[in-house]
Amino acid sequence: MSGRPLVSVAATGLVLAAMSHPAVATRIAGALGEAPRRALDVDRLLALAGQHLVLAGTGFALVAILGIGLGILATREGAAPLRPALDALAAGAQAVPPVVTVALALPILGFGGPPTLLALVAYGVMPLLRGTAGALAAVPPDAKAAAEAMGLTRRQILARVELPLAAPEVVESLRTALVLAVATAAVGALAGANTLGTPIVAGLQNQNIVPMLQGTTATAALAFLGDAALVGLAGLFRINPPRT
Amino acid sequence: MTRPPSPVARGRAAPSRRLSVVAALIAVAGLAWVLLREPLLVVAANRLVPGVPVTGAAVLGPALPAIFGGGAVAAGLLAASSGRRAGGVALALILAAGGLLAWGLGHGAALRMADQPPAARAGLGAGAWLAALWFATAFGLATRRVRRPGLGPGVACGLLVTLVLAGRAGAFDALSLAIEYAARRETVHAALWEHLALAGGGLGLAIPAAVALTAWRRGQDLVAIVLGGVQVIPAVALLGALVALTGGLLRLAPALRELGLSALGPAPAMVGIAAYLLLPFWRGLTAALRAPDRDSLDAARGLGLTETQILLRLRLPLGAPQLVGALRVAAVQALGLATLGALVGAGGLGRIVLDGMAQFAPDLILLGAIPIVALSLTVEGALSTLEDRMRARDPA
Repeated sequence: MSGRPLVSVAATGLVLAAMSHPAVATRIAGALGEAPRRALDVDRLLALAGQHLVLAGTGFALVAILGIGLGILATREGAAPLRPALDALAAGAQAVPPVVTVALALPILGFGGPPTLLALVAYGVMPLLRGTAGALAAVPPDAKAAAEAMGLTRRQILARVELPLAAPEVVESLRTALVLAVATAAVGALAGANTLGTPIVAGLQNQNIVPMLQGTTATAALAFLGDAALVGLAGLFRINPPRT
Repeated sequence: MTRPPSPVARGRAAPSRRLSVVAALIAVAGLAWVLLREPLLVVAANRLVPGVPVTGAAVLGPALPAIFGGGAVAAGLLAASSGRRAGGVALALILAAGGLLAWGLGHGAALRMADQPPAARAGLGAGAWLAALWFATAFGLATRRVRRPGLGPGVACGLLVTLVLAGRAGAFDALSLAIEYAARRETVHAALWEHLALAGGGLGLAIPAAVALTAWRRGQDLVAIVLGGVQVIPAVALLGALVALTGGLLRLAPALRELGLSALGPAPAMVGIAAYLLLPFWRGLTAALRAPDRDSLDAARGLGLTETQILLRLRLPLGAPQLVGALRVAAVQALGLATLGALVGAGGLGRIVLDGMAQFAPDLILLGAIPIVALSLTVEGALSTLEDRMRARDPA
C-alpha cells in the first residue's frame, strides 16, 4: 500500500516537469490554439526553480522546527491550560490567506523574499502545531503508563513511545506544510520574489500563455516531487501513512 | 467541566497557576512596551511616502495610564482567579480600555492632522495593531472565563456595531484608513459582493460535484488519489492552467463566448476554487454517511426502511456535524482562495489588495485585507459554533 502513492505522486511530478520544458510547453500552447510566443529557456527556468526551492525549503525548515517543537511543548503536562488558546490562535491564523499575509508584510519588510518567508511561516506553523499536538494527544495513555512503569524518564517516553506512535500523523501534517510552502513561494512572486510564480504572474498580465504554462507546470512538479520525497523519506524510517 | 477537582488535579494546579501568573506578567510588560515604545500612529506627508512614527504618550495623552491600568488589572484578575465573577469584571475592564484606545487613536490622529495639508495622512502604526491584538486576545480569554454560551459572539457583534456607529459619527475620520475607505467606498462594496459571489460560486460548484463523487461507489480509491493530488497543485498554478484551458476551449467552441464565458474572469476562478473544496466536502460526506453504527443500521433495516429512508432519516441527521464541519473548512478556504481570483481578472477584495501591493500603499492593502480576514473569522466562528452545538445535541 505504501509504495503505490509514492510512485504515482513521483510520476505525476516528473510528467509535469517534462511539460514545463520550453519545447513541450510551446507545443501544448499551440494545441490550445495560442500563437507560439517566446518561451522561457531551460537555464532561466532552472534558476527560478532553484530560487523557489531555496525559499520554500528555508520556510519549510523553519515551519517544521517551530511547528513540531511547539506541538511537543503544547502537549507537556504543564501546558494543558494553553491548549484552547493555541487552538483558537490556529483557527485565527488560518483565516488570513497567504496572499493577504504577503501583502500585509510588504510595507514592513519590503519587496522580495522576506515577506514571502514570513507568510510561509505564519501560515504553515499553526496547522503543523495542531497536527503534532493532536497526534501526541492521541497516543494511548496505556502506552505511556506502561513506559512509566518500566522506569523510563519523561524524555525517554517522549523519544521512544510518544513520537514513534505519533509519527505517521505528524508526517501527514508535514506533507500539508510542504505543499503550502511551495504554493506560498509561488504567491510570493506578487511581492517581487523571484520564484516559479514570476512567469505565471507575468504571463497572466501579458496574456502570454507559454511562460505561464511553464511556471504552472514547474510549480506543480516541484510540489509533487517534494511530496514524493517526503513520503519516500518517511518510508525509509518505516513510517507508514495512517489508515483512513 | 463542573466536576470537583480530583486530588491529582489539585496537585497539578500549582504549576499551571504559576504559569498563568508568569504569562500575565509577560502580557502586562508587553502592553506597556507597545503603548510606550511602539509607534501607535505614523504621520506622513502623503499616502505613499514613509511616515514619522508617533508613540503612545504623544497620541493618547492622559488616556494612556487609564488604558494601561485597565488592561493590566484585567490581566491580573484573569491570572489570579478562574472564577466567573473575576472574568466578568475583567471583561468589562477590557471593553472599557479597548474602547478608550480606539477613541484615543481617532482623537490623537485628528489632533495631529488639524494643522496639516489635506494630503497628509495619519496611519495606524505597528503599536496600534499589536495593542488591538492584545485586547482581542484578552477579550477572548475573558469571555471564555465567564462561561456563558453566545456571550463572546454577542459582545463582539455589539462592539462591531459600536465601532461602525462611532465611525459614522466621525470618530476615526482623521485616520488614513478611513480616508482611503471614504475615497473608494463604492469600489470596496462592489469588491465585497464580488468576493462573496466568487466564494459562493465555488461552493455551489463543489457541493453537487462532491455529492456525485461520493455516489460513485466503485471509484472511491481513484477519487481519493485525484482529490489528494489537486490539493498538491499550488493555487496560482491551477488558476494559470485553467485560464489556458478556458482559452483553448473557447477557440474550439466560440459559441460559449456568447454565454458569457471568457478566459479571464469569474469562470476560471470559480472552477479553481471549487477544485480545492472537493476534498473537504468529499471527506465530510464520506464520514457523515458512515456516522451511524452497524446496530442502528441493522435496526433500521429490520424496521423495513428503504436505503433512501435510511439516508434521509439516519445517515444525514447523525452525520450533520461532520457535514457542517466540512462546510466550515470549505467556506474558509473558499474565502481565502477568492483573493487569488483577482489574478485572473475575477475581481473581488483581492483586487484591492493587489492594487495596494502594486502602488506600495499600505492603507489600500489593509482596505482589502481587513474585510477578507473579518469574513473568514466570522464564517469560521459561526459554523464552528453550529458544529459544536450539533455535536453536543447528539454526541457521536
